[in-house]
Amino acid sequence: MSELKLQHLDKIYDNKVQAVFDFNLDVKDGELIVLVGPSGCGKSTTLRMVAGLEDISNGKLIIDGRDVTAKPPKDRDIAMVFQDYALYGHMTVYENMAFSLMLRKENVNVVHQKVMAAADILGLTDQLNKKPNQLSGGQRQRVAMGRAIVRTPKVFLFDEPLSNLDAKLRGSTRREILLLHKRLKATMLYVTHDQTEALTLADRIVCMSMGHVQQIGTPLELYYTPANLFVASFIGLPPINTFDVVIKDGHAVNSEFSVALNAEEKELLAGYENKTVVFGVRPEDVEQGGEISVNVFSNENLGQTTLVNGVIGKHKITCKFREWCSYKPGDLVRVSFKRKHFFDKETTNAIR
Amino acid sequence: MTLNDDALIKKDRLRFTRNKLSANLTLLAIVFNALYFVSIYTSDVGSYYYRLIIGISVVYNLLFMLIAFLASEGVKGYKMAYGYLLLALGAGQIIRIFILPMDAKNAVVHLEQTEQIVMDNAQFTWVCVLLVVSAVLCFAAGIIGIMKTGTLVKYQAELEKEAKGSGT
Repeated sequence: MSELKLQHLDKIYDNKVQAVFDFNLDVKDGELIVLVGPSGCGKSTTLRMVAGLEDISNGKLIIDGRDVTAKPPKDRDIAMVFQDYALYGHMTVYENMAFSLMLRKENVNVVHQKVMAAADILGLTDQLNKKPNQLSGGQRQRVAMGRAIVRTPKVFLFDEPLSNLDAKLRGSTRREILLLHKRLKATMLYVTHDQTEALTLADRIVCMSMGHVQQIGTPLELYYTPANLFVASFIGLPPINTFDVVIKDGHAVNSEFSVALNAEEKELLAGYENKTVVFGVRPEDVEQGGEISVNVFSNENLGQTTLVNGVIGKHKITCKFREWCSYKPGDLVRVSFKRKHFFDKETTNAIR
Repeated sequence: MTLNDDALIKKDRLRFTRNKLSANLTLLAIVFNALYFVSIYTSDVGSYYYRLIIGISVVYNLLFMLIAFLASEGVKGYKMAYGYLLLALGAGQIIRIFILPMDAKNAVVHLEQTEQIVMDNAQFTWVCVLLVVSAVLCFAAGIIGIMKTGTLVKYQAELEKEAKGSGT
């Protein structure tokens, strides 16, 4: 396996539309990096540039110390798993997995050993004689992964591989990918718009928006210390609650509530006295008991947790309580905020 | 069972790969038969060929091509019976040499008071070669099919025995 360096990558299409701006990333050997962001943010374009399916307008792509920016896909030693599997319908699972090696004219016995080993890893040994249309979606995706594994490439690329699967299958296949990564210790680049996938799979996450990298960090870093309002809103489910507040005399104040700041927060916000900032609190950081009243309009029980949607004055808020609650519309719940986030109103960057 | 020697791997591969060699040889045999079919009626010998034997020959050619194609699919899937069927088809191609080409070879017809030879030696040799090649291809496809199918059946029986022995 190997290291991957993306240096100042830009993607500008012929019609002058720029899809990716100055993308920089160093992927360590064996690391699983997840590119996450909403549709159209440039994550798939970035992946396709790495694969060689899109030309790189500016910048350099280095795999294992070798500049492959101008190399065609076949010379990059990269394997890609697509969202729609891209399997050959007229071939069996075995033939699909062996196909790329046969094209390379590898010894048939070696090909057989590699296919059998990959099938064993993926639990596909019993399916090898079947055609793709006889398999479930999850099995097809495993075949697509098997096809990548047999090549023992330097880097694995996954382009939203679970998007075509139903929720249950997505969960199990996600766990399989994670196990696969641990087993193969492979360098992987994984694209998804699903933050759950990103948080559960990634060693590091690259959060993108409008072609720009918003933040690169571990899942915990992105969750606890988002770089800006976009990352804070994108990572976390349900999304973070935000309110415009004015910093005044050690309090974050708006027309509906006033929250006392602790010493650390006071120091952080010293330069924002009498200024408006964006105050954010994650639903799971809203606790029952406190001085702020939430007027409940819906109560969703999810088993161990309850999502309570309500309003503080005219500001909507979502609370995630770690217990079974049975609030009715119109009930008043007293809450307080545990972990607070503050963002500059103009730049939307986190105040740190 | 671990796949650590070439002979074993070769056997194991049979479980997942089709017998394309036999199938392709059979298709090639069909091609040579088709060449024979179009080569035999090239001479301008009036109504010599308008006989019952020609009708039979035409029907047999169609049947041969149909059955050989089915057999090519059969041997591809390691079905023993189709291997034997190919041997029979190969034998049929050899037997055919002694029917129509032999009958037409150096036969004489009278066209406008002149004698004309139906099939000269060159044409006879050519159509015989086509039939022989077609037959050899059928034999080869059949023998390879039978051998590979036998190996696969034996290997699968071994695997089954081993699985029963290990209780899985």
